[in-house]
This record gives sequence, structure tokens and C-alpha cells, in this order.
Amino acid sequence: MIRERKDFAGELSDKIALAKEELRLRSENWEELSRKVEESRTSWLVAGISSPPDTAHPLPERPRSYTALSSDGSQIFPDRHEVLPCYLINISSIALTYGDNAGAKLESDPSLFYRDEDRFTTWGGKRIPADSEVISLRRTLMEFERILELVKGNETDGNTIALSDGTLILWRLEAAPPDFRNGIMVPFLRIMDEFKNLRIPVAGYISYPGSTDVINTLRVGLCPEKVSYCNRCPYTELPELPCSPIEGLTDRFLFSTVLDTGEASPVFKSSSKILDMYGVHHIYFFYVNIGEEIARVEIPEWVAGDERLLSLVHTLVFDQAKKGKGYPVVIAEAHEQAVVKAKDRDFFFSLVREAMVRADFAVTVSRKGLSKRIPGV
Amino acid sequence: MSGYIGEVVESGTKGFIARSPRVGEAPSFGSFVRTDAGSPVYGLVYEIITGSREPGRKPDAYDMSIEELRREQPQIFELLKTEFHVLTLGYLEAGKIRFALSPLPPPIHSFVYECTDEEKEALSSEDFFLRAIISSPNVPADDLIISSLLGAQRARKNDRDFMVRMGKSLSRYLKDDYERLASILRRLL
Repeated sequence: MIRERKDFAGELSDKIALAKEELRLRSENWEELSRKVEESRTSWLVAGISSPPDTAHPLPERPRSYTALSSDGSQIFPDRHEVLPCYLINISSIALTYGDNAGAKLESDPSLFYRDEDRFTTWGGKRIPADSEVISLRRTLMEFERILELVKGNETDGNTIALSDGTLILWRLEAAPPDFRNGIMVPFLRIMDEFKNLRIPVAGYISYPGSTDVINTLRVGLCPEKVSYCNRCPYTELPELPCSPIEGLTDRFLFSTVLDTGEASPVFKSSSKILDMYGVHHIYFFYVNIGEEIARVEIPEWVAGDERLLSLVHTLVFDQAKKGKGYPVVIAEAHEQAVVKAKDRDFFFSLVREAMVRADFAVTVSRKGLSKRIPGV
Repeated sequence: MSGYIGEVVESGTKGFIARSPRVGEAPSFGSFVRTDAGSPVYGLVYEIITGSREPGRKPDAYDMSIEELRREQPQIFELLKTEFHVLTLGYLEAGKIRFALSPLPPPIHSFVYECTDEEKEALSSEDFFLRAIISSPNVPADDLIISSLLGAQRARKNDRDFMVRMGKSLSRYLKDDYERLASILRRLL
């Protein structure tokens, strides 16, 4: 395994050198590539470009005072081996204010879900039990709601950022039927509207990103066709496709050769299918060199198109990562306050069982659940 | 309830632990304190510890001054706690201080207050508090004797006779350990 890894690393450095050269070349005539990307139909996600993609934006000056907001959730999923079908979601809310009125608010708030409308969901007209996927999406919604509450409950100045862990692109909803999809998407976009009206930039932070959008854009550039239609690729008979030499690279590798610490890439437009529903909140992204790693930062269109907000996101994300030794401190704290551990889970179900017993119910759990709890020898 | 300096978070017969409402603040070592709920318990602060609130998270070194930390890493002050440990000296029964362990320890979450000068006088009217210190394992006895004596003397408007009386008591209690007695007395002057 290690030997193979070593061979791969050698190959990788050649690919990175090639990709970097491609990036430089395409930047000289980026409008051409931009047009080609827009007209092409590829089987992969490509990054829309609207400026030379090899530009490195220097780190803007950080405002002396600012506020970073974040929220994270953690859950105890329903367990059919337990006494009652119910689940718990614990949502944290973190507000860190820096500078002259420095202070910190670290809170978390658990909610119990046990009613029919909590336990079931409508999926393509059918009523199905809410599984981990459904609960996770509901949780995401709750996290954004919580950040919005934080904004409304805090004296925020012009330098406030709402940071969320992970992507803002709800791509999991692509496969969902419209009734379920809208149940999540409509409130999500309504929350985004509120952020937009308040002019508080929202950003999703992805550490160690595996995305390949920009590399894929360069692969479109490598394609000899005037416009690339991957499903009608004329080169499939060749030993290697013209777009293959940089295949397998992630954007992270490419930008680590382009960006110095603190610098950010230009903004790219994501081509995720689900974003057709996002309207003015269409997601854009950029990469930033945190020092320890290259991070991907996702922002809605109204942030991407606003010079001031974009600079603010750039500088505050960098500062947060510096404070958190390579990972934004506000997101790390949101996780710490939200996390539900295995022993909390056991304690939760034991509370439920005790409450049942106190109410004179005969409590039964599955034999499987029991055998795990009391393993014999 | 206002003006309390701690809240009992761990309670036992021989002593209790209280959490300060603010990180880094606590009644000073050797001070006389009392609880408020049930029958109040009196005691002496013998240990003050500031550390992480959560097991598994340890304070890190940031290479910043405290002011800078407050400005640039405000969350850490929410993640730290200051607790002080109290050695029980006695309790209040029918309006009178009894120099004995309370039949019941103070309830968890009862508040802790600094004793008034009158209470300090009453607590140091006899030498029982010295006896309690000397016979307690796990407390820094000699320093606790010195700090509590100095505190009591301040509450008694620097009453010289009081110090002489307590010095005599100490020499009785420590008659088998002249070196220790001499070191305490020298440090009291």
C-alpha cells in the first residue's frame, strides 16, 4: 500500500506541475475558457469563472472589532430497539465578539422529537419514517435558524459573519422528491433571504476539501473540442483521453501551488444541479490558504458580488482559522457545545425508560438491545 | 442572594467545593466563609484552583497577555472555571456557632459568602479553628494557620492579646514539634 502510495505521489507532482501550467495559460485567455465552460455539457461539476483563475487576492486588513457566529447540531437517532421511538437534536449557538467589546456566548439547546409529525415525513406522497438522512437535513435547517436568532439577539455591527461547518449546497436534496425537497429548501432559502436583508454574510467552511471543480474546468480547457459534450466524447478510442493528464487532482493541490498564506483565489461559480433552486443565493466559492491547509469557502451570490462583504469573509475566515490553530475557532466551539457522545445517548434512553416506568408502563426493549447491554460470558 | 462569592458544587461533611461566579476571582486563601442554605456551615478556604470546565479539554498556551486574550480569544474565559475548597469549622444552630462538623453537609447549589467581621470574631473567639486545621489531612496546615490568624486579627482591629492567646494555644498543640512551631511563629511576626 505504501509503495503504491509513493508511486502515486511521484505521479501527483507531475500532474500538479501540469495543472499549474494549464492554470497560468488559461488565465491569459480566461474569457474564452469561461465561454467554453458555460456551453459545455460535462459529466462532472465545473467551476464557472469570471476573472483570471490564477489571481491571488492578498489578505485584506482585519477590522479591529468583529463578531463571528456559528451553530452546530448533534443528534441521538431513533433506535427501534429502544423503548420509545423518539430522537433528540442538540443545537449549539456560539457568538464570539472580538476587539473593544469582546465577549463570548457559548450555549446549546436540546429538543426532543416524538410526535407523529416529527417521526414521519412525506416522501413523494408517501408517509415514511424520518431516517438519519431526513433528521440530518432538519438539523441543518435548525442550525441556520439558530444563527439567525443569534443575529437578532445580538448587537451586531457591520463586521459580523455567520460561519457554518461544511457546504451550503444542499446537494442531498437532488435525489429527493419535490414535496420533501421543498419542505427543506423553502425555509432554508427564507432564512438566506433574512441574512441577505440584514447584510450579514453567510459562509460555509470546508476543511481539507476534496472538490475538483476548478481542475474539471481546466480539463474542459484541455479538451480539443470547441465545446465539450462528454457523453458524445469522440476520443474514447484513444489510450488516454485528452482531458486525463490532470484527472485525479483536487483543487486543493492546485491552489497550494498558487496561493501564499492568507491569499485567496478568485470566486468561482458552482454548477451543482440543486443550485437551480437557489435564485439570488446561488452558491459561489473560493479557496484560501490558511497556512496549515487550503480551505474552501462557499458563499451566496449576494456576498460574492459585493466587494466589501467578500473581503470581510476572506479576512475573517482567515483570522478565525488562525485563532483556532488552522480551523475556525467559532466552528470548533459550535461543535464542542453541540456534540452528543455515546454515553449521553445511553443516559438519554435510560431517562426515557425511567420516565416510562414512573408512569406505570411496562417497559420492553428488544432482545438485541438487551443482549448488547448485558453481554454474558 | 446578591454578593455571594461562590456556589457549592461538591458537598461533604469535612468540607465542600464552591464555584466562583467569575473566572480568576475567589475569596483569598485562609479566609473565613459561610454557606446560606439550611443551617449555615462555616469554614476556611484552603485551596483555589482555576482550570478547564470540561474534562478532556486542557488550557493551551497562547503567547498573549491577559488583555490581548480577552480581546482576541474571548471564548476561553467561558471555558474556564475557578473553584475553591473549604474546610468545615462549624455550623450555626439556634443562632449559636457550634465548633463541630455539621450533622448534614451544605446543600449543593447553596451560595457561599465571605464572613462578616463579627462572624470572624465569633469563629476565632476560641482556638478550635487551629485545632481543626492541625488535625486535617490534605490541607496546607501551617500556611492556613498563618493566613487565618492574620485574617482574624484584622477583623479584631489588630488585637494583640488575641495573637498572644493563639500563640499559646499553638505552642500547646505543637509542643512535640518545636521546629514547626518556631517557623509558624516567626512567619506570623
